[in-house]
Amino acid sequence: MSPLAPRLSPALARISRRAWIAVAVIAAVAAALALCGIGFGSTWIDPRRIVEILFGEGTRGERVVVLQLRAPRVAIAILAGGAMAVSGYLLQKVTRNELASPGVLGVIGGAGLGVVIFLALLSDESNALVTSIVWQPVAAMVGASVAIAAVFLLSGQQASSAVRLLLFGIAVGAVAKAATLILMIVGPIYRTTQASRWLAGAVNEINWGEVQVVAIGLAIAMVGVFAVARRLPPTDLDEVSARGIGLNLPVFRILVFALASALTALAVAFAGGVGFIGLMAPHLARLIVGRPVIPGIVASFLLGAIMLVGADLIVRVLFAPTEVPAGTVTAVIGTPYFLYLVLRRGSTNG
Amino acid sequence: MDKAITVAALTVAYGAATALSAIDLEIPKGKVTVLAGPNGCGKSTLLRAIRRLHQPKSGEVRLGDLPISGLKEKELARHIGLLAQNPSAPDDMSVEELVRLGRYPHQSMLQPWSAADGEAIQAAMFGTGVSHLADRRLGSLSGGQLQRVWIAMVLAQETDIICLDEPVNHLDMAHQIDCLDLVRRLNQEHGRTVVLVLHDLNLAARYADRLVFLKDGSVVAEGAPAELMSEELIEDVFGISCRVITDPVHERPLCIPIRNSSPRFRADTAA
Repeated sequence: MSPLAPRLSPALARISRRAWIAVAVIAAVAAALALCGIGFGSTWIDPRRIVEILFGEGTRGERVVVLQLRAPRVAIAILAGGAMAVSGYLLQKVTRNELASPGVLGVIGGAGLGVVIFLALLSDESNALVTSIVWQPVAAMVGASVAIAAVFLLSGQQASSAVRLLLFGIAVGAVAKAATLILMIVGPIYRTTQASRWLAGAVNEINWGEVQVVAIGLAIAMVGVFAVARRLPPTDLDEVSARGIGLNLPVFRILVFALASALTALAVAFAGGVGFIGLMAPHLARLIVGRPVIPGIVASFLLGAIMLVGADLIVRVLFAPTEVPAGTVTAVIGTPYFLYLVLRRGSTNG
Repeated sequence: MDKAITVAALTVAYGAATALSAIDLEIPKGKVTVLAGPNGCGKSTLLRAIRRLHQPKSGEVRLGDLPISGLKEKELARHIGLLAQNPSAPDDMSVEELVRLGRYPHQSMLQPWSAADGEAIQAAMFGTGVSHLADRRLGSLSGGQLQRVWIAMVLAQETDIICLDEPVNHLDMAHQIDCLDLVRRLNQEHGRTVVLVLHDLNLAARYADRLVFLKDGSVVAEGAPAELMSEELIEDVFGISCRVITDPVHERPLCIPIRNSSPRFRADTAA
């Protein structure tokens, strides 16, 4: 038995085992979908062939198509979708609110605005950054942190009523989106061509340099996530009970908010404001793996990745060669789902 | 008399409103102390201040000789357990999962799980009679069962001191007695020091070794129930004229309320 796995009673051990089996199945689906994502395009490449190319075989042409054109796009979709989903999982957990998510709390809007301001200030006329792209996620983090801080300061309490939190989150998100739109319109023409990314979220035109920045940032953030994961179970309790067993929830929440903002910022920095993955993926994860925290985090990541890779695949299949942002698909599916959650909540007066 | 907790000149305020003013109190070790008083007298605030859920404006709470302000969050949670007034946990959480949370303050990154944790959980569930419910979801339990499970969680914490904030508020009479009998057994068989907030005076008199009356944020009187339950004092603290007799079964004082004697109430009924 691994030293990290607490000794469990037979019942809890069974629940945990089932959760990990579910995670393995989800991982297999994610891998298969990623291969399809790389395979699909102007020419279909067989998944087996892709694996061979990834391991160093293939013609020069194949290598360029797979490694330079398609793989970065799928890689960023995996990382950004996964990061959003884990961010949503953390937010839902510490606010004990199933409606909480980076989009609904205005974090995505804030991160997007941060990036757009950064680009407006630090791009030259040929649309090239005058500084390192490493700063782009940092700008997103600043925007995300300002947004979430604003939401919680305005609503007065960290875990105030779900509806209150939501209203302020949506308001802050709307302001950030409006500001982003204004920057797009009054900014230089070349930036407008990217408007769809910052408003809806997309994964086209991604290069390995950007993937690398996100991957490194995400690796660091995920270490943080697994470090706080052990302290997540008490957050299921009310604030007084959580303190009773030794977790200072208000302080812990700030740490988790910071982490969730960083995750969202990493996703938004290059893929833009893809909505609703942070809401839907954690729900689906909990539905499939149940309550165990670490499998829940891993499953959220994988499902978020599946959603964004899948959304991108859908826009490519339906609209190629026109580039439609993948975020439109998640929004089309996510909005009705969100409304369903709000209505269900309203009907039970919860 | 050994003391578990000392409250010294403790003043707690909510903004401008003073909730507790200069409270001095000693909680005896190994006894059941009940904080009682009318609504808004500060009894819950005092319990919460003892558990450091309120920052005092002045004064301090000491655990033995140690000011609690210097303890780390988990350290404090290894000394004082707390059952909140309205505790809540997700409906789909299992009983065992909740009881396990009681071990949280004993675990750390370096010490994730030990045999002692498993034993404490089993003992806590056995002691509260919920072992057979271990795999049940919290949402499927009755109010009485749920309260036992919460007590099991606090018990698994293995603290010397247990604070319970109005633990029987929403229970029916049978479950009130059941729950408080359980608390007293924990005190007698396991030697835990218990601090209870109760607003039912007769339950307070029945279960307390030591009774503390609060009114308007001050301690009015403290002592054994037999000393404290006088008709004059009850009228003064609770604003009710009453007769006090001796409960023939438990030989504890029993208050029979006659009518509300507070001036404000009389003015209301006259108008």
